[in-house]
Amino acid sequence: MVEYESSKSRRRKEIKQMLQQQKQAGPAEAGAGTAAPATTHNKETGKHSHRPSTILGKAKKFYENHYKKMLILTIGLLIIAMLLIGIKVATTGDFINKGTSLKGGTTITFENAPDIDILKLMNDIKAEFPKQDLNVRELSATGAQLGIIIDTDVTSTEDIDAVINFVKEKLPESERGYSIETMGGSLGSSFFKQVLLAMVIAFCFMSIVVFMLFKTFVPSSAVIICAFADIVETIAVVNLLGMKISTAGIAAFLMLIGYSVDTDILLTTHIVKRKEGTIVDRTFTAMKTGLLMTFTTIGAVTAGLIFSESDVIRQIMTILLIGLIFDILNTWIQNATILMIYENRKENKAKDE
Amino acid sequence: MSKAKKLFTNTRVIIMIVCLLLAIAAIHPRFIDGVAVRSVTTNSSALLAGIQSPKATIAPTGREVITTVGTTPIKTVSDYNAAVSGLIPGSTLVIETNKNTYRLTVKPKYQVTVLPELENVTVKEVREVNATINGSIQLVNRTFNTTIERNKTIAKLVGAEDIGLKVFDAPTNNLRKGLDLQGGTRVLLEPERKITSDESSIIIENMKQRLNVYGLSDVLVTEASDLSGNKYFLVEVAGANEEEVKELLAKQGKFEASIKDSVVFRGGGDITYVCRTPDCSGIDSRVGCGQNTDGKWSCRFRFSISLKPDAAQKQADATKDLAVILYDKTGTLLPEEDQYLNETIDFYLDNVKVDSLNIGKDLKGKAVTDIQISGGGTGTTEQAAVNDALTSMKRLQTILITGSLPVKISIVKTDVISPVLGKGFLQNTLLICLIAVIVVATILGIRYRRMQITLQLMVNMVSELLMMLGVAALIGWNIDLAAIAGIIVAIGTGVNDVVVITDEILAGGTKDEPAALTWREKIKRAFFIVVGSYLTIVVAMVPLYFAGAGLLKGFAITTIIGATLGILITRPAFAAIAEILLKD
Repeated sequence: MVEYESSKSRRRKEIKQMLQQQKQAGPAEAGAGTAAPATTHNKETGKHSHRPSTILGKAKKFYENHYKKMLILTIGLLIIAMLLIGIKVATTGDFINKGTSLKGGTTITFENAPDIDILKLMNDIKAEFPKQDLNVRELSATGAQLGIIIDTDVTSTEDIDAVINFVKEKLPESERGYSIETMGGSLGSSFFKQVLLAMVIAFCFMSIVVFMLFKTFVPSSAVIICAFADIVETIAVVNLLGMKISTAGIAAFLMLIGYSVDTDILLTTHIVKRKEGTIVDRTFTAMKTGLLMTFTTIGAVTAGLIFSESDVIRQIMTILLIGLIFDILNTWIQNATILMIYENRKENKAKDE
Repeated sequence: MSKAKKLFTNTRVIIMIVCLLLAIAAIHPRFIDGVAVRSVTTNSSALLAGIQSPKATIAPTGREVITTVGTTPIKTVSDYNAAVSGLIPGSTLVIETNKNTYRLTVKPKYQVTVLPELENVTVKEVREVNATINGSIQLVNRTFNTTIERNKTIAKLVGAEDIGLKVFDAPTNNLRKGLDLQGGTRVLLEPERKITSDESSIIIENMKQRLNVYGLSDVLVTEASDLSGNKYFLVEVAGANEEEVKELLAKQGKFEASIKDSVVFRGGGDITYVCRTPDCSGIDSRVGCGQNTDGKWSCRFRFSISLKPDAAQKQADATKDLAVILYDKTGTLLPEEDQYLNETIDFYLDNVKVDSLNIGKDLKGKAVTDIQISGGGTGTTEQAAVNDALTSMKRLQTILITGSLPVKISIVKTDVISPVLGKGFLQNTLLICLIAVIVVATILGIRYRRMQITLQLMVNMVSELLMMLGVAALIGWNIDLAAIAGIIVAIGTGVNDVVVITDEILAGGTKDEPAALTWREKIKRAFFIVVGSYLTIVVAMVPLYFAGAGLLKGFAITTIIGATLGILITRPAFAAIAEILLKD
């Protein structure tokens, strides 16, 4: 504890030194609006730490000089994502492509049918059941076809059995094992509403916890905006990929909130709660830890995506992968920038007093 | 003090080791060959030989395991199937389990055709009669030859009847594989309107009863709900195919009460009221409980029901010619109010007899609408007998309410998972976990270049997995797709936390900023972040626990349990181990 205090007091001394240097530099610079002192301060701190001309050093330099411009990139991404989702809602009425488990219908999986021609089967099956809204997909792992997945909008036993028997006839005896998932239309839509509500509540709870942790408005809001941006941008990309979201996909978005907030808490703690080194130094320390966290998760998720034989697991992994990539941008550019601006202003205010 | 000694005397490390041992004990891994009994069919030769149908809630390793059928040792389900095919009717089959040896008589299977012609047949009937033995009047069983008239039938022997066992490969641990991993059928039912909690417990009891009568004891019926307060019922049948369960749930659950083969009333329409409150149902206070000559206790229960007038009239017609039994088995004269008629009233659920009760004497020939139904329970102690009687009473009340279900129920979701897919899914999941662990370890290896940290991380991940599985085994939680997703989240967060703790520990010591913090402070700083992310994960999962008909409940609860175990047990232990191993 004693040592920590000493580092704090050393920091205070540093600020005093800086204030003196600034006074010497003249009042014109110090009084040139709120944005200007921030850059001034950065110059100061840049001089203060003797940075080697390594890649890391250059990156830090780039960060110091251009972080506000980088913010435009992430804000732009968020706006584009929201626009895309807006268009999606305007054209289809839903902000995601609902899978059979969310809009009602049946998914039939023949898990062991590696040789059947999916396109031909799709044509045959559509010709046989013209009234159904049918789709045949591939069930695959490591790039190879394992079996087939049939999505249809019917839910009655007779209709489903008819489809199953039709497909069975086309398969050899050993490949006729199947699984069925049927979701009634009313349950599907009520489930969807329910989980959306749960997500909103989860988001609110999460926000409360974040506010309780940091007790300041801007840093807490930045964490929440970051989680929000992660989800919105992921939804936009998932829509572009044409992926149909199932119940498990919804769970993946919730998992995303958890993973997203992890790195943001790390970053905010380093920048706002700690005082050693410059803000950029602290950001980079946090980034080293945070990126490692994200990369381990991405590594595990990619393994799941490549090797999983389950459609459900693949969907969860896809959503997480996209979300984690956006999280890197949103945390280390957007959130970091917001916090840097915030902290610089705070320190300048301290100086002005 | 050596590092090893420090490690094993550290409280946090000891707590983790104890928890791990407890987890392994709960999982109870074992090596066993044979097939476990899933369920026993009603009236089958297996049931008659005394093999009990296990409850769905029994621990997987607690199930009876068949090791030998006849002279064939049984290792797998296909061994079993081969051993029970082609049995000779009437022969004796010896089945050895890990608990007992059973001698089954193989029943012949007939194809019976009923012909229009009538015939007179003489049947042997055992009746209780009063006889004078050694000067005292006693009730004894006597066999009478009675001639009855019935339709002629032709019975053709078509082989041996199935011995009535449903089996699966013996579980090697106490983890309950959910349907996604072992195959089976899951049906979600929704009542037509909002229901009260009383109604909902009646419905659950009813469904279980109904499914049990069908011989599907390995059935889980649970209530699920969502944030709007809608209630659902989730029925999970392991290993059963779709047709079986759908037929069960689509059926009305026909209940009939008959006296001497004529139906007097049916469930639902004919019964207007079944008393379930203490004032008109419970242990019969007039008779109470008593100890029998063999040392066992027995208790009587009673409750009243109301019949529709026409059903009451039917009962009057059916009972008016019956005789009254005046003496009990010991030959003593029964008190007036305990005398009963010589025919029983039998209850059938979907044509299977579920209970047989005595009819009080005063009901004879009377068209009463309010009648008392009584029965008994036995046990080795008085309390056990009371419990047995009350359980029987509840079951009977439930049966009588069957058909008059408070609300119509419809199927809203069904999942049928083929056992092959389930098995493949489990293997695939294990493969992915293994690859993911290797990937994570490699990334951390490259970053830290310290074997120690990578090893510690592996220990951390495996401990967390074991503890989560231990808790799952302990509370009987099913490991299904949702639970696996939860385990992945929890372990993923675990890795994140480990990275945070490691970086905080290794932090400092740069040129500009010498390591200024003590270990305690470093750990404290790391735990601020760790606890912060833990809290956000937990609060994000809580609403999911209550939402959407419980479909994501498993995901939410596993994540919360996993994250909590992590923060309480493995993270402190990790920090302690890191401190001991990395310090100086």
